[in-house]
Amino acid sequence: MIDIGTQRTVSEFQQVQRRSSTWLWQAGTGVLLLFLLTLHMIANHFIVEGGLRDYAQTVEYLRTPVIFVIEHLFLLTVTIHAMLGIRAVLFDFGLAPATEHRITVAISGLGAITVAYGVWLLWAVAF
Amino acid sequence: MTMTDQSARTRIRSAVRWFDTRHRGPETWAYALNRITGLVLVAYLYIHLAVLSLLVRGPASYDTFVDVVRSPVFLSFDLVLIAGWLIHALNGLRLTVIGLGFGVRAQRMMLVGATVTGSVVLVVMGLLLFGG
Repeated sequence: MIDIGTQRTVSEFQQVQRRSSTWLWQAGTGVLLLFLLTLHMIANHFIVEGGLRDYAQTVEYLRTPVIFVIEHLFLLTVTIHAMLGIRAVLFDFGLAPATEHRITVAISGLGAITVAYGVWLLWAVAF
Repeated sequence: MTMTDQSARTRIRSAVRWFDTRHRGPETWAYALNRITGLVLVAYLYIHLAVLSLLVRGPASYDTFVDVVRSPVFLSFDLVLIAGWLIHALNGLRLTVIGLGFGVRAQRMMLVGATVTGSVVLVVMGLLLFGG
């Protein structure tokens, strides 16, 4: 099907729409990261003597329920933002749709592994 | 040269176009810098996760590492990382605002604002890092 006004096919519109939504995700996670990373830096580096928490301090910090939730959110947000960033750089190569799809699948997999490892690490350290 | 070679060259050329800042304005420099810092920060994310894995090995392993990275040399690396983060964050914010259709004509002014803000925050963070 072709839109007469723009001469774009429906699938092209869907592609543009998908790209816009990934851009919005990238921007949204970026803005959220601005707050989460600032919080992370202050809590882990700037209010701690010596600029870094030792083992006991880190465990105690992660056992605080609010912090535990925030660190999960931080991990998820930073991973989504990073994966979408790599994807955008790779897509600049002007690849074929099938290759772009394969890249999206591979990057989604890498993101899922990263989050899974990070969650395991958080739970292993805190409990 | 085969068609495949030509197509590969075109792809690489289009992919690195953002990196070619010759005869371009500061906005292009900022965009290129944004992508470079982004890639560096992704690499750091994995280094950070690898380092945090030491926590699983217990206090002896992690505290030895902490003693090493509390040295001024490592704190300087931290400051470089913070600089990269500030460039990426503030410039990313500028690109988001422009991407949403706001302040397109004021983008150079926003770039100046981001540079000044980033520089001030970096000095403050440096003082906190080395003074703490």
